[in-house]
Amino acid sequence: MEKKDGVGKQFLEALEFQGIKRRDFLKFCGATAAFLGLSDLYIPKIARAIEKASKRQPVVWLNFASDSGCTESLIKATYPNAAEIVLDILSVDYNETIMAAAGKQAEEILEKSKKDGGYILIIEGGIPTKKGHGMISGKEMIDILKDFSGPAVAILAVGSCATFGGVPSAKPNPSEIVGVTEALKRVGVNKPVINLDLCPVNVEYLIGVVVNYLLLGKLPELDSFGRPKMFYGQCIHDNCERRAHFDAGRFVEQFGSNEEALGYCLYKMGCKGPMTYSACPKILYNDRISWCIKAGAPFIGCAEHGWPDKFAGFYERLPDVKIPGIAGVEATADKIGAIAGVATAAGIAVHAIATAASGRAKGEKKGGEE
Amino acid sequence: MAEELKYEWNFAFRLDHWVRVSAIAILVFTGFYIHWPFFGGGPDSFLMAWMRFFHFVSAYALVLGLIVRAYLAFNSAFDRDWKDFGIFRNLRDLPDIIGYYLFIKGTHKDYRKYNPLQAFAYLFIGLLIIFTAFTGAAIYNGKAFGVLNTAESFMWVNTLLGGESYTRIWHFLSMWVIIIFVGVHVYMSILQTAVGKDRTFTSILTGYKLKKKTP
Ligand code: SF4
Repeated sequence: MEKKDGVGKQFLEALEFQGIKRRDFLKFCGATAAFLGLSDLYIPKIARAIEKASKRQPVVWLNFASDSGCTESLIKATYPNAAEIVLDILSVDYNETIMAAAGKQAEEILEKSKKDGGYILIIEGGIPTKKGHGMISGKEMIDILKDFSGPAVAILAVGSCATFGGVPSAKPNPSEIVGVTEALKRVGVNKPVINLDLCPVNVEYLIGVVVNYLLLGKLPELDSFGRPKMFYGQCIHDNCERRAHFDAGRFVEQFGSNEEALGYCLYKMGCKGPMTYSACPKILYNDRISWCIKAGAPFIGCAEHGWPDKFAGFYERLPDVKIPGIAGVEATADKIGAIAGVATAAGIAVHAIATAASGRAKGEKKGGEE
Repeated sequence: MAEELKYEWNFAFRLDHWVRVSAIAILVFTGFYIHWPFFGGGPDSFLMAWMRFFHFVSAYALVLGLIVRAYLAFNSAFDRDWKDFGIFRNLRDLPDIIGYYLFIKGTHKDYRKYNPLQAFAYLFIGLLIIFTAFTGAAIYNGKAFGVLNTAESFMWVNTLLGGESYTRIWHFLSMWVIIIFVGVHVYMSILQTAVGKDRTFTSILTGYKLKKKTP
């Protein structure tokens, strides 16, 4: 029997077998439609697109230099496990962390996927560019990436490590780790990469992009950093639930304080919300339960290019200024300002005294003639 | 030696000057607050929102004030003084005026409106205001003049300076340079008033300076 929403019975039975109810499945499709900005007329279409994809859209998920936090974020999603639904039916052919196969068997699967081609390639982790610093079964990670990027229909870099290097590429970066876009450029592959920044990636962003692709057959509109505009178009600070406290000038000054208990703004605790663009306040994490600021932690800026090096310490408003030429000397912007101010005041005082001493002011030696 | 009053600044110059002074004063105060909110708002206040509001309004005032000043330099009905800012001429005369201020020389040449040091300082501060406006726009998330989406249009500033937190630091440090400029500027005008006895200090209010008449 064909249901009203057009999803085949067989497919629903397959889901049922995996413990996913039809209702949950459609709920997931509805949520996906909502964050893709589509009307609910699209829900059956999304359901059908996923069903169709379950038969043919393979996904290869490769792990490079990272802590597998993104995979973790994916599999730790609880009920109704939206992420797993899609990734299961999408036939994730290869994912080192969660697949059952290992060793030679796993390598065979991987080789087969590469031969078949047409998969969505999901990359997690940064790419070491220094020889011998990042290898899987005797092959350089960057070479593996190069081999697999060719037959892929779309390349998704998920998490800060894969997008621009993230934590593993932080100074001093001994393995010279770079993001996927940069790595592909170095090996001469010219293919667009969708960057899903954040540490870890928000699984719903990932699903959103994949479903968007299945449904419309094209990649989403990207900003200048290759991030889908639909998720990275708005400033965290503008959608933050603590924004009212910010506008009112009510700030947490110390952790464990009464202000913190009252949920005041975390600006003075180093929140990078005002300089980060992502939909975290709206989509949240872990099945839309919470996100960092809701949990009471200042936002650290992980959705941005250049994080973490180019952002201040997690609990600092601004990074320290390195004074070029003098190694190891760092000062906060405030200190620099204060020192310069005092120096100027001193200079003025000295000059004023000298003027008085020289007798210029008394008109003995006529000076300025302006 | 007879002295006469000379009309040095007409109303447009004076008004423009004071618009910029008030803008800088408000910008510095609100800027410090935005940088580090040093007192909290009451239960129903919109303290930070107002601080930011006045910061942005004054920023417009300062930028427009600078544009008006540049316009006056080229097209004022009263005194088109753009030639006073000529870089090569002023470079040539720089040793003269520096020598004077460092007490190496007793006197200095007679300059028309600005001495070379002044001309350079004002040119520099103009550029600095532009720099501050650009860095400010880059960390502002809104529509400049109601049309320009700042976050996108000024992204290149962030790229150039190495990320948005660095843009913030540059913006903050350039404020300090402006503060220092104001300090030196005020001191210099007091100094000139004391040494030259020519009413420089009040001239920006009244418009008149005292000039020696050449017989
Ligand atoms: S907690 Fe952070 S993002 Fe939220 S209002 Fe405060 S500064 Fe902005």
